[in-house]
Amino acid sequence: MPTIRLKDAEKRYGGTAVKAVSNLNLEIGDGEFMCLLGPSGCGKTTTLRMISGLEHLSQGQITIGDRVVDCVSSGTFVTAEKRGMGLVFQSYALWPHMTIERNTDFGLRLRKVPKAEREARVEKVMKTLGIAQYRDRYPSQLSGGQQQRVALARMLAVNPDVLLLDEPLSNLDARLRLEMRAELKRLHEAFKTTIVFVTHDQWEAMTLATSIAVMSDGELQQVGTPNDIYERPANRFVAEFVGSPPINIIEMTDQSSGPLAGLARAYFSKFYPQLKSIGSVGMRPEAIGFVRDAGAVPEGSLSGRASVTGVLPTGGSWIIELVAEGSKLFLTTHQPPAVSDGAEGLFHVPPEALHVFDDKGDRDWVADIALSKGGEGRPEMVAKKAMA
Amino acid sequence: MSALSGQERRAGRASKFRYNSQVALRDPTTLIGILAALLFGYLIIVPIISLLVDAGRVQFGDERRIGGEPGAFTLYYINRALFSPVAQSLFWTPLTNTLAVAFGAISISLAIGGPLAWLVSRTDMFARRWFATALIVPFMLPAWTFALAWATLFKNRSVGGQLGWFEALGLTPPDWLAYGQVPITIILALNYIPFFILLFGNALRRFDSQLEDSARMLGANTPTVALKIIGPLMLPALMSAIILAFAKAIGEFGVPYVLGLPVNYDLLATGLYRSISSRQTGVAAVLATAILLIGAIALLVDARLVREARKFVTVGGKGAMARRSALGPMRIPATAFAALIFVVSVGLPLLTLVLSTIMRVPANFAFSNFTLDYWIGTNLDTVALRTGILLAPALWSAAFNTLWIVGTASICSGILGLLVGYVVVRTPVWPLAGFLRHVTFFPYMVPGIAFAAAYLSLFAVQRGPIPALYGTVAILMLALIADQMPYASRAGISAMMQLGKDPEEAAQVAGAGWLRRMIWVVIPIQKGALMTGVLLPFISGIKGLSLFVILAVPATDVLTTYSLRLVDYNYTQAANAVVLIIAGIAYFGTVLAQKLTKTNLADGLGS
Repeated sequence: MPTIRLKDAEKRYGGTAVKAVSNLNLEIGDGEFMCLLGPSGCGKTTTLRMISGLEHLSQGQITIGDRVVDCVSSGTFVTAEKRGMGLVFQSYALWPHMTIERNTDFGLRLRKVPKAEREARVEKVMKTLGIAQYRDRYPSQLSGGQQQRVALARMLAVNPDVLLLDEPLSNLDARLRLEMRAELKRLHEAFKTTIVFVTHDQWEAMTLATSIAVMSDGELQQVGTPNDIYERPANRFVAEFVGSPPINIIEMTDQSSGPLAGLARAYFSKFYPQLKSIGSVGMRPEAIGFVRDAGAVPEGSLSGRASVTGVLPTGGSWIIELVAEGSKLFLTTHQPPAVSDGAEGLFHVPPEALHVFDDKGDRDWVADIALSKGGEGRPEMVAKKAMA
Repeated sequence: MSALSGQERRAGRASKFRYNSQVALRDPTTLIGILAALLFGYLIIVPIISLLVDAGRVQFGDERRIGGEPGAFTLYYINRALFSPVAQSLFWTPLTNTLAVAFGAISISLAIGGPLAWLVSRTDMFARRWFATALIVPFMLPAWTFALAWATLFKNRSVGGQLGWFEALGLTPPDWLAYGQVPITIILALNYIPFFILLFGNALRRFDSQLEDSARMLGANTPTVALKIIGPLMLPALMSAIILAFAKAIGEFGVPYVLGLPVNYDLLATGLYRSISSRQTGVAAVLATAILLIGAIALLVDARLVREARKFVTVGGKGAMARRSALGPMRIPATAFAALIFVVSVGLPLLTLVLSTIMRVPANFAFSNFTLDYWIGTNLDTVALRTGILLAPALWSAAFNTLWIVGTASICSGILGLLVGYVVVRTPVWPLAGFLRHVTFFPYMVPGIAFAAAYLSLFAVQRGPIPALYGTVAILMLALIADQMPYASRAGISAMMQLGKDPEEAAQVAGAGWLRRMIWVVIPIQKGALMTGVLLPFISGIKGLSLFVILAVPATDVLTTYSLRLVDYNYTQAANAVVLIIAGIAYFGTVLAQKLTKTNLADGLGS
């Protein structure tokens, strides 16, 4: 399957100036499992629908391999039915007047696949998804999870090169969602299909995707592997959107931004005097440690006095709420905490776990190199990004 | 440099236009929409404009009197209808009568229908479900069925023909009770009660008890809850029912025709009919314009109220629950009240009609007086119609005409309705969607009689390539299609809205082209809606009178005009029998429609 390329793609609805998607450049390679991740209204579903051909561009172009499927300037538009992709809707959109089998073999009938082959393929895909026993039922007689499988089977039956999924798991309960996630991952490996998956659920994106595209307000924020996105968020939006509980942010732009900012400023000027104009600093909750006495703080860490104001068990792990220099910090731990409300001590964060953003909110890659001491913590990645 | 960029910009615009038109025409939706817009423009807007223009133009035959060429501008008709010495009887009296009847009927039906709606939807009255269906039966029957029943009972010696039952028993009903304002008002009132039960009752049913509970939790007592919470939320639905009934009353023809003409009690609709039959087309146009204006104002008010009401609808939410109040000791009296209304508005009139068709002499209940002759007899002792009605060839040809004309028109409007629904929901060209939505709803504002007058005015002569259609089946079908479009397009639009885009897009992604998608996916899913879109117009067309009375000629006689002629000739039993046949078709048709589509009549009303 050739690569899907979106070039300067833009979408406005009904002649309004509001852009649902703007200036989008994205490449989806063969066999990738790409997640479009973002809050609702960020343009991820619009992007998916533009790829499918159900929505046309207002500006820009989309190519699949060498084939231009949508290009405003050359006046080309290939309709959805001629793009040969598969799309699974959030609502599943099963045809209520057809049995499960007819739903599944619809695409094959359209393509006039000979009966024997059609039946064999439908059989195979229905078996794979465990819905063969419902073949003569109607969609309304199935549960949500079963309907979801039929929706998948219907698209997989025609063996599309690209499978588009629009929040297909959001209507399922937690347990079923977990099962279907595993199933999707298996299917991706079994069918070698390129998958584009839209979700607002970061967990889903993290567990499924080979790469994630984070969007906000119609604009692409970052593309990368799940690890990239989590460990090296390209900007404040990505850092704050991904991760639960959310990343702790110390605002550093304003002189009056509080004593914790002062503490951080002192830390940076002592250890990393070459870093100027820091806008903010982010710390993941699991990167923060809490100790009772100053001697236990690792050398070179950002550290300060803190008191525990809440211990929240979440089942197998704990969220601890700290107040350090008047600011709230959340940390998570998988060890049963030996502290309780009101305990006094020190928080500490190792330098390589500090995310430094400039005053525009973009990641400061130079700071990354400095903080990772120019050698540890996957320097080649950091260096590559810094040069780009 | 600047020339080049200008050229580039032009080229860019050209390719953008090419791109946009390619996107708009990637499937035939927009094309169908444009064709439909042209069709309805011609079927709905042009006749109305032609009617309005007729009110200000010299008509054929009036050249001498007015002193101008046919078609020249004149204020003669407006003067004559509004300001001349005959204006009083031509326009002002019918107008006051119409308003008096409309307000009277609405007050009565509100006073009875409001409480009934509450009883049926929010209390533990006995046989609540049964009443919910039984009490809306009058809505399924033609209003003038009840006028005939009334005449059968109360007719006095002022008019010839068979005696009324009371007269036959020796109790002469006074004219005011037998004809004119009182009976017309009562019959229309009984006929509009279902509006309140359907629309107001529906709103009551949807009302979330939690809203009431929240107010109570905050300390509001029952009157406060009723005044501050329930009242404001129910007002739009109530107003909507009032205005729909009003719009119907304005154009009402059959009832005043049967009960008003004997004492020269004219409403606007009967006045219009008279003007047309006495060939005063100019004055008729003025009257029709007046009806149209009143109807349009009423419907505009309604549209506003419905929009207001929509604001509230979203509040309902998922957890809505409707609790029914216990009536306690009032349970039996309440049930008796509902039963009484049922007897008066359905039982008694129908029983009277049925009995009247099997009795030789009115109000004589001796066994020997009963006969089936009027249904299946032969060699009867009458001037014309010497066989029972079921053996009269005229009935069968009228029945055939009805089924063929109304049936064809209904199928056309059902299909058009679904297409309109499809285009409205799917086309990327928004103004087209808006235009179609409004133009197809427009006939709702135009009472049938005014609409028929408009068609008469437009199609009486040849215009361009369209031949004179008066007297043909085509004009009836076209007028019916246009008149029924509000029901059909509403059914189509709401069905397409509910369907959503997903199932069709799923088929598109799977590789199905437009035609395939229509045949394999959209139409099969929408067959229920299509059925409603055909059946609702069919029922309303079967019982419709006002269109036919103006546009039908003997060759295109239908059941309604046939029964009306029998009334005119005083074949009371036969007329009643035909009306019963119509009522039967309308009633069972409605029941069938509801069964088939599992829908509720209230949805068809478009609350």
